[in-house]
Amino acid sequence: MADIQLLDVSIRDGNQSLWGAIGFTTSQILAIAPVMDRVGFRALDFTSSTHMGVAVRTHKENPWERIRLVRAAMPNTQLQFIGTGLRFISWEGQHPDFMQIVYDRLVANGISRFVVLDPMHDVEALLESARMIRKAGATEIIAALTYTVSDVHDDSFYARLAARVAQSPHVDRAYIKDPSGLLTPERARTLIPAVRAQLGAMPLELHSHCTIGLSPLSYMAAAELGVEVLQVACGPLANGSSLPNAQRVAANLRELGHTVNIDDRALANVADYFAQLTEAENLPAGTPQEYDASFLRHQVAGGVLTTTRRQLAELGLESRFADVMREVVQVRAELGYPIMVTPFPQIVCSQALYNIIGSKRYGNVSDQVIRYVLGKFGRPTVPVDANVKDRILERPRAKELAAEPPPLPPEELRKRFAPGISDDEFLLRAAMPAEEVDAMLAAGPARRHYNPDMQPVFKLLRGLQSRPAASHIVIEKRDFRLELRSSPEREAASA
Amino acid sequence: MTLRRILIANRGEIAVRVIRTCQRLGIETVLAASEADLDSMAARLADSTICIGPANSSASYLNVEAVVGAAVASKAQAIHPGYGFLSENQKLAAACNHADVIFIGPTVEQLDAVGDKLKARAHAAAAGLLSVPGGEVRSLVEARQFADQIGWPILIKAVGGGGGRGMKQVSDAGKLAEAMELAGAEAQASFGDPRLYIERFVSHGRHIEVQVLGDGENVIHLGTRDCSIQRRYQKLVEEAPAPNISETFREGMHLAAVAFARHLKYRGLGTVEFLVDCDREAFYFLEMNARIQVEHPVTEAICGLDLVEEQIAVAEGRKLRWRQDEVKFFGHAIECRINAEDWERGFCPSPGPVTHAVFPAGQGIRMDTHIQAGSQVPPFYDSLLGKLIIHGTDRKDALRKMRRALASVEIAGVSTNLLMHAELMREKEFARGGVNTAFLGQFLQNRNMEAA
Repeated sequence: MADIQLLDVSIRDGNQSLWGAIGFTTSQILAIAPVMDRVGFRALDFTSSTHMGVAVRTHKENPWERIRLVRAAMPNTQLQFIGTGLRFISWEGQHPDFMQIVYDRLVANGISRFVVLDPMHDVEALLESARMIRKAGATEIIAALTYTVSDVHDDSFYARLAARVAQSPHVDRAYIKDPSGLLTPERARTLIPAVRAQLGAMPLELHSHCTIGLSPLSYMAAAELGVEVLQVACGPLANGSSLPNAQRVAANLRELGHTVNIDDRALANVADYFAQLTEAENLPAGTPQEYDASFLRHQVAGGVLTTTRRQLAELGLESRFADVMREVVQVRAELGYPIMVTPFPQIVCSQALYNIIGSKRYGNVSDQVIRYVLGKFGRPTVPVDANVKDRILERPRAKELAAEPPPLPPEELRKRFAPGISDDEFLLRAAMPAEEVDAMLAAGPARRHYNPDMQPVFKLLRGLQSRPAASHIVIEKRDFRLELRSSPEREAASA
Repeated sequence: MTLRRILIANRGEIAVRVIRTCQRLGIETVLAASEADLDSMAARLADSTICIGPANSSASYLNVEAVVGAAVASKAQAIHPGYGFLSENQKLAAACNHADVIFIGPTVEQLDAVGDKLKARAHAAAAGLLSVPGGEVRSLVEARQFADQIGWPILIKAVGGGGGRGMKQVSDAGKLAEAMELAGAEAQASFGDPRLYIERFVSHGRHIEVQVLGDGENVIHLGTRDCSIQRRYQKLVEEAPAPNISETFREGMHLAAVAFARHLKYRGLGTVEFLVDCDREAFYFLEMNARIQVEHPVTEAICGLDLVEEQIAVAEGRKLRWRQDEVKFFGHAIECRINAEDWERGFCPSPGPVTHAVFPAGQGIRMDTHIQAGSQVPPFYDSLLGKLIIHGTDRKDALRKMRRALASVEIAGVSTNLLMHAELMREKEFARGGVNTAFLGQFLQNRNMEAA
């Protein structure tokens, strides 16, 4: 029987999977951070460049300040940043020197654990990121072995990947990252031992989404197979397309005889807090998912499926939905089996849609597909089908995109901004529109306090504030009556 | 280590305040309460309550065995002693060590170093601080010679004491014998230690203290507090930062306090108290309080830290989480201690049931209390009902808000000193800032509230 650790993803991946990454302000995290610190999680999956962008754009909060404040509020639990190669906030690639500053600043502000990930399984790119992150001073670097189901992604593929990762001095641990929740308990029983065997002493973690309800079962298999850390989420941030529920996983592991050294009381407090916040902010709670066999074939997550269906309906072509889904499988194979994580499901689905509604396949091709074939997202796992590649690259637009200038080094980029701004501000300005960064700075420091119970009162007060003309307000409930009237003098003055 | 369950060995507003921080941090709380406090607000807020004895505090809150026994029985990993009672008691700290329970406070050696006022004075000298001229006296003859040497009037103090008990002011040699006898008896009764020392009485002094926080290695300060509004050495109004002193003078006090704490390799939260001679712009080391203090919220208001949280972090064995340059001060804070005392009848305690209690709320207003309508004020303990703490953008703003907030406090059933605070806050001299410790006495005398 094993000793299993838990890692919580509520604030980053749970938020992203269920709330489109727009949940959680700094104060909402700070209110629970000290309690989360006491649960005994191995680490928190805390932020990504997407989340940092949302902090600025949606919440007008400084993402660096957020990292610093949360670091101070939870000194014992590592905070994790998940990166995807040479990108920071915007979709454009960045210069390696620029990324080095990003990593340096993340570490300086309080991130100590990093995920290195390449959705194309480009190991060279992944290890290069790890080297830069180590140079920045990270204490724990974990490599993602991104799981998918395809003709090429068999156990030996992952074993080879694990073997290469295990050799790097800049990688401390590895995890099987199953973003679409495709891993079955049966496959876990062959995949995990194959990977485990190549890792030597390097610890292995598992991260599998609940998309079709498989992961709570796969996790139990994994616990017996030498996986040391299971990645989970708390309360309403678990389930749905997020990760398994921490409380359920802990209870099930103990039921099977494993030990899980976490503080159940503190964990329950965290889950309760998230439940209160979910309700107060009117956000959707994750629910356990039903099994969907077709998902294993097309691997397109719910959100993208809904969009595709809507696009077809707008064209009056709902009847072609099944054809599009068949085409998705075909396009994915021709493009070299990109793993169906953002942005690839969107890219593959829209290409499949063009192929079905157009007069010929690949008659219409998006810039994103051209950039993909040009290798701007990295090297595909298997080469793109030669005929498809020719057809795409012979387009005049392909030549234009191929001629896009390489990203500027940071010293050149800096010349665009006011001299003397801090590195933290420079990185945000280089990656985001000036007006968004200006608005964030103008908003001042983030609030430090949040209480979900108070939100209905604030909502009421904000509502009243937005209706200055209301002159007679009555709030009545059991044993309570509040009546507000504006005075006649004021009414006369305002008339 | 991570503390998961803490025993709170105290009562009243400080027990409530410690519980609230524990709740915010996700730490389970066990309250050690006397029979008189089993229905108190703290008992209702705590996750569980253990009765540690009868109402009489010497049999409960001052009973080391009962307190440590409650911690062991409830499997609490640590004891938070609050202020007063056993908070600076070496026996409790030692018994905790013995029982493998963490004492949330300094080490036994540090408690000894600052608890014994003569040792504290010696350490202050070693750390380069000036103390008020004075020293231990073993006999009347010695006292008289010493007093003649340092100059009259003098103060007699208990070596093992604090909080004003055992303290006597003597104006001339004729009254010395009687005062020494009385002080010695009081010191023996209160602290079990009859030793006395005398020091020069500084008549135009201000009481200014510096909050320090140490982890056993590093020490930072969290600014000054002015506690000059005192009646018989009991503080009634405190503010942070201390008003009307130059920044160089303030920085000098900061540095001295940090030097003293560093000299002791101090671990935990503490306060270094200074007597400030306004005429000479000089400050003298008075003593160090090795615990959280009643007036800590004014410091929290201006620096934004939760001092109980920092105490717990240090008790867990962590390094300080803030560098000195990361501690930023904002605005000005004032605290009024609201006591169940009839200020028009010589501050006579007024225990009993509270029939009505309404406290103000809003931006910059903090009320630390354990009182609500229906609460009992037992006659066995101090008369503190709560503390109204106001944080403003500057002192003027804080004063203005304090006057308004005081006006909206409603307490019925027991007499309080609320009106005294309301009058004090309107006093021109107080509004100017920087009054000395004689101010409150004169203020009361002018109103015939107290004999001179």
